[in-house]
Amino acid sequence: MSTASPLAVSLESIASCFEGIIPASICTCSADGRPNLTNLSIVCCVDSRHVGLSYQFFNKTRKNIAQNPFVQVVVVSPANMRQYRLDLRYERTETEGSLFEAMKTRLDAVASQTGMSHVFKLRGVDIFEVQDCRPINAEIGGDALPGTDFLPKIEEFTARLEACSELESVIDVSLDALSALFGYEHSFLMVPDENGNRLFTLGSHGFGESGIGSEAWMGEGILGIAAERREVVRTTNFSRDVLYSNTIRSTVQRRGEDSLLEREIALPGLPEIQSQLVVPLVNQHRLLGILCLQCATVGRFLSDDERVGRIAARQMAASMALLERAESAEPEEIPRRPYTVQPTAVSTVRHYTADDSIFIDDAYLIKGIAGRIFWKLVQSYVQGGRVDFTNKEIRLDASLQLPDFKDNLEARLILLRRRLQDHCDFVSLIQVGRGQFRLDVQHQLKLEERS
Amino acid sequence: MCMASEHPLSISDELKTFLEGPASVLAGTRDSRLMPEITRAWGPRVSEDRQHISLCVPLATSRKMIDNLDGNGEIAVTFSLPTNYRTFQLKGRNATIAEPDSTDLAAVGRHRDAFASVNESLGQSRERVEAFWQAEVETSPVLVKILFVPEEIFDQTPGPGAGREI
Repeated sequence: MSTASPLAVSLESIASCFEGIIPASICTCSADGRPNLTNLSIVCCVDSRHVGLSYQFFNKTRKNIAQNPFVQVVVVSPANMRQYRLDLRYERTETEGSLFEAMKTRLDAVASQTGMSHVFKLRGVDIFEVQDCRPINAEIGGDALPGTDFLPKIEEFTARLEACSELESVIDVSLDALSALFGYEHSFLMVPDENGNRLFTLGSHGFGESGIGSEAWMGEGILGIAAERREVVRTTNFSRDVLYSNTIRSTVQRRGEDSLLEREIALPGLPEIQSQLVVPLVNQHRLLGILCLQCATVGRFLSDDERVGRIAARQMAASMALLERAESAEPEEIPRRPYTVQPTAVSTVRHYTADDSIFIDDAYLIKGIAGRIFWKLVQSYVQGGRVDFTNKEIRLDASLQLPDFKDNLEARLILLRRRLQDHCDFVSLIQVGRGQFRLDVQHQLKLEERS
Repeated sequence: MCMASEHPLSISDELKTFLEGPASVLAGTRDSRLMPEITRAWGPRVSEDRQHISLCVPLATSRKMIDNLDGNGEIAVTFSLPTNYRTFQLKGRNATIAEPDSTDLAAVGRHRDAFASVNESLGQSRERVEAFWQAEVETSPVLVKILFVPEEIFDQTPGPGAGREI
């Protein structure tokens, strides 16, 4: 390590240059004095005197670094388009550890999304000491950008969340507050299914189609990789061509499950995602879901936004975990109201036992556990006229074969309620008290069971 | 003027069109300690005989580069198209410095305009792209011309095959 003088421009003051929004360039020089210039895929800021460069291919740049540790990198600020020269000296290559894993996750997520996994393999992160950092026109200053004071907003966010006593309000209040306080206008929240194989969307904010009930495979694409590895994935200049819903659909097609497409709900998503931040919701090492923020502007989510996302996600996960424990408390008994009105319109509810999917008048509603619960409710309604139910009786109902997962029932009921809201105007599920809900049906229902 | 190269290459029509198009152009040089220096260049031109390349660089950003070229003449220049990252790198050993004439300055104007247009098509406003080079000439509008004879040309389009010599 050298005892170098302070940098002309501190790395912290040009943090947005390390977001990968505008490509950086690197110039190396061979031992026999031939310069070599190329584009760089990732330059990250390691600390105030070090940067990390992705090492993906063994190329001329790598050969030159082995011969001569001095390199220069030019980065560009996406905020004001100023260019900065960084004089670097190669120190070491990391092939494991948190820095390597974070960069690998970022590359893998984008590679998985674009079907380029075999091409974009991260071999290592080359760590360089920064010997100087200065504007490309050395005669002008570095003009750092003013930072945003996030503290009061974070305090307000936690205050709003603290007042939530149900899972549904945790989701809605969080997504609303992320928009109102931080300007993250487009967001959605997904939770894992009972097997941990898939994630499904339980809440969304700021999209034309809510996407409630849409799914993603664990370990696939940006959402699935963030969830599986429990790592934040931030993409700041995402390929214009990639849409998440399309990827899900093509994955289904690739697997030869075209017939399932009818039962696939498109993920919430902007038509042109340019920036995305996916943060896992983890509490005591357990994955409770993922939070996804999207924006149509390039470079919307910077490192401070990532910190805000992490804090918000931890708070949300903690609230969700607390409510899970509270939910097992006994609900008060409510009088059961028999249904009296005999509606005239008739609708058919069809249940496919193979995947518990439900179709109402040939329109897909839901599948899986939520479908099984819905089938049970409408059976009780049609056969016995019941409209009032408690979470507890559903949970204890052996015929439903619910997984041994406390959080899942509440999540499934929210999912079911929201899918009905979005897609059926004559059946609704109304929360009538803590741990209790009512099935409100305006049509006569005809039930059909198929394999 | 450029010294004659021992291995002159002839630049094809297709490559000439690419090099004189809206690409992002960066030049790399090095000092006597083999410390590299990157400078953004404007208005690249391929000579009539297809063997020489000229570029302009702002004096304010190229003082070190000029010293480097005075010392050793080694240069590498990349041309990268912002729309698809198609990239070529040209290397020469005998780069020299001259004063740009009106043809060179006109080429700089055309290049900046084309560069702004192609970035506009990617969603970058013209104002932002103009800010890109304005800081380079904020303290001095003077441009310097660099001339060299490419001895090696590489297809540097990113990916595992990058670096293939043409």
